[in-house]
Amino acid sequence: MRFWQLFIRSLKETYRDPLALGFLLAFPLIFMLVFGAAFGSDTTPSYDIGIIDDDVTEVSQSFVDQAISEITIFELNVFDDIDTARDELKMGEISAYIVIPSGFSTQAAQIMQGMEGNIVLDITYDESEPMISEQIISSVNSATRYFAQIEIPVTINTNPINIGVNITQIDFISTGIIVFGLLIMIPTSGRIMLRDKESRFLYRMLTTPTKPWEYIAGYSLSMVLLATIQIFFFILLGWLFGMDIIGSLWLAFAVFLLTAICSIGIGMVVASLSKSENQGESLSWLFSMPLAILSGVWFSTEFMPPYMRTFADIFPFSHAVEASRAVITRGVGMEAISNDFIFLVGWAATVFIIGTMLFSRTMRS
Amino acid sequence: MFDKVYQSSVTMDDTPAIQTSDLTKLFGSLIAVDSINLEIKRGELFAFLGPNGAGKTTTINMLCCLLKPSGGSATIMGYDINQEPYQVKQIIGVSPQETTLSEHLNSMENLALVGHLHGVEQDKIYTWSKLMLDTMGLTDRAKDQVRKLSGGMKRRLSIAMALIHNPQIIFLDEPTLGLDPQARRAVWDYITRLKGNKTILLTTHYMEEADFLADRIGIIDDGRIAALGTSSELKTDAIDTHTMVIYAWNLTQKVILELRSRYEEVKISNGTMTISDKKLDFRDIIDRLHAAGSIVRSAYIREPTLEDVFLKITGKELRV
Repeated sequence: MRFWQLFIRSLKETYRDPLALGFLLAFPLIFMLVFGAAFGSDTTPSYDIGIIDDDVTEVSQSFVDQAISEITIFELNVFDDIDTARDELKMGEISAYIVIPSGFSTQAAQIMQGMEGNIVLDITYDESEPMISEQIISSVNSATRYFAQIEIPVTINTNPINIGVNITQIDFISTGIIVFGLLIMIPTSGRIMLRDKESRFLYRMLTTPTKPWEYIAGYSLSMVLLATIQIFFFILLGWLFGMDIIGSLWLAFAVFLLTAICSIGIGMVVASLSKSENQGESLSWLFSMPLAILSGVWFSTEFMPPYMRTFADIFPFSHAVEASRAVITRGVGMEAISNDFIFLVGWAATVFIIGTMLFSRTMRS
Repeated sequence: MFDKVYQSSVTMDDTPAIQTSDLTKLFGSLIAVDSINLEIKRGELFAFLGPNGAGKTTTINMLCCLLKPSGGSATIMGYDINQEPYQVKQIIGVSPQETTLSEHLNSMENLALVGHLHGVEQDKIYTWSKLMLDTMGLTDRAKDQVRKLSGGMKRRLSIAMALIHNPQIIFLDEPTLGLDPQARRAVWDYITRLKGNKTILLTTHYMEEADFLADRIGIIDDGRIAALGTSSELKTDAIDTHTMVIYAWNLTQKVILELRSRYEEVKISNGTMTISDKKLDFRDIIDRLHAAGSIVRSAYIREPTLEDVFLKITGKELRV
């Protein structure tokens, strides 16, 4: 019964290693907690919707107040002109805008009097968010049909933004995949440093007059180079699979590079805090996988409860997804993503300062 | 060529190469190194001899500025290990206990990397690396990734890496650990070539290694230096009894009892008689054996070993 003895030995090895056992149990638990908290609640998503009232009558105003405002998932923002609303949509400040056409009140009055009539509402939305746009259109459709307790025939004229560019699902998902690929650099960069730590090669290097920042720079530069190649290939493959890059490729590249630098920095912090390669790797995955879920890499964060979104926003990856998606699918420029960009720069700088400090501590521990 | 490049580091300054004053290291409540006072002269090969866990590596780690002492102080060529760690690291070369090499780099690349980290000029790196490979007998493996090298070759490369920047002081932590006798002997030969040219602090738990290589030996046990001196000083000072070993046939009970009445300790094991006493009369013993009809095949006075010294000083055997 040799297999039985080997089986017993394996069991003992596992349960006598608290860390391994902890991760074994912690991983599914944490995943369930994160997924459950993110998608399991009855949280109603909320969308910022622009309203442009070209009719400017009491009827159109009451249509907004009594029909559109009643849609619980809408937060209304009134605009004077389409251009401003379009800019806001492009910048991601609103999810869609609805134009109430001039002549709306005349048409409504005719219908109320039993005459023939049709109201056409223009809804312009961000086509890169297909799930969201579908929900907005459906909500507007059902709410407007029973305005003033009368069934009004409303034709919804949908206008996806960036008309002329055929935005597909790959545009949405590619940016997420790229950020996810860069997020995986957390365990990768940590592993390189921990391997040197575990094989004691780091010990030898620490006997040389090299300064902590030089180690950090040396390790991270090679990782940045790898990240640059990785980003290049990701973009190339995305493009081959049909991803359209509407905005500046260089700006998108810069966002991705900053994301990679953040990941490398986090990996180094994890490596400095870990005692072994196994421990560091487990910690990295425990950290990076939930972050990937929360950052909107695969799913839109609009469906998550606000507190989860706030939590995700503490980390750089949700900002990276948002900024890169805005540049690639909506073609926005630096001014539209400056907040996210600055946040990424700040994160990259901070994590490297912390990494250097922790590494200095390692050097004398 | 080797001597030309590597002989210059021992200068005629009176400052000790290594000096410690009550150097102490605590890990929680465990005293790893307990108030070590040491002075190693320039050009000396000093060996720390002690069992695993005695505090040898911890002492080296403190002297290399890798561990912060819990108490006391130490200087390396006059530089304080706490205040001037980067100056210390400029002048030392370390070969750690494990063969810490970058496995996917070849021998030449490993040497060049450490040379660069120590600030060796670009134009010297290649020449010095080639020289070190030649000195350590690794020239034909220069382009091989080190993961393909044998344990002995890795150890030699590790020592070469400690020497590449022509340091003034070399720390060799268990340089022959895990090597077969032939490889160990080869490493000893390389270390012997460095003697007098460099100040070397070597740790070992092999007594014959300390005996063969060291100018002076410090016996370390439980974090303390239990004895300090040259090999012969330690043996002379610590061992005041002499031992005679005799291989003889026809040993009778009568002659054994007779010798036991005259000498402190007489042991018989597998036809070998061992007699120990502070005063041994070689001729008297042989005559008594002959008179009793015993046939003496061989007889000699056994020199005391460091093992005997260690046993005498610490009260325990030096276990590897």
